[in-house]
Amino acid sequence: MSPYLFWPLAGVTLLSALGVVTLRNTMHSALLLGLSLAGVAGLYLSLGADFLFAAQLLVYVGGIALLILFVVMLSGRADEMRLRQTHSTWLAAVMVCGVVFFGLWRIVALARGVLAETRTAPTTAPLGVWLLGEMAVPFELITLVLVAALVGAVVFGLSPNGSVPEK
Amino acid sequence: MSLAYYLLVSALLFVIGLFGALTRRNIIGVLMGIELMFNAANLNLAAFNRFLHPQGVAGQAVALFSIAVAAAEIVVGLALVLAIYRSRDTVYVEEFDLLKG
Repeated sequence: MSPYLFWPLAGVTLLSALGVVTLRNTMHSALLLGLSLAGVAGLYLSLGADFLFAAQLLVYVGGIALLILFVVMLSGRADEMRLRQTHSTWLAAVMVCGVVFFGLWRIVALARGVLAETRTAPTTAPLGVWLLGEMAVPFELITLVLVAALVGAVVFGLSPNGSVPEK
Repeated sequence: MSLAYYLLVSALLFVIGLFGALTRRNIIGVLMGIELMFNAANLNLAAFNRFLHPQGVAGQAVALFSIAVAAAEIVVGLALVLAIYRSRDTVYVEEFDLLKG
């Protein structure tokens, strides 16, 4: 829980997240997304959530960031690397984000001074007991969601006449 | 380190993700912004678990479910992006006008 762990991780997470939304090159955005997700994994570790840290690295950094990287490489053209990547109405978006952040800030201010009372401890074992005990039904249902997503992705990947695309 | 610092980082991450989802022209950039917002919410869940309810693991379990749902969402989303790219040859959201007829 030391600040020496928290501040560098928070800095890496937020700076690379800023890079994700502002850089022109989508390839660089996708790589920085991986870095930002790894920073969030480190923040989980500083919260003592060790299993969440491992799951974040495996699923987000190892799975989702890599998948996005593949799609960027499959769908881009070389001349797009220098195109403007933001809408002309970005100023309105900045104002929307400002309003949202103001609201969130008012809520965050309520949590000022709330300190942790216990030391961090590994939570993998209680998490396993919880998932297979009280949360067993949702845990099984989530496998159904994942199978449905898998089948859906394959269906969308097929071309209209039902064959695997040639291109 | 108090809870407010974690909530502040999470709020900033959410706002950055919201900005990305609102302004990126590239549909993959929009999806990346949505991923950042998911992560901000998960970080909040883990932080609340640590600071307000340290004897249980419910917050972390919900964050785990959220990660699984986000993975399913991004897989289907990217499959849709590739399907649209095959038929329209573009990844820019202003050219996604299939429903206009």
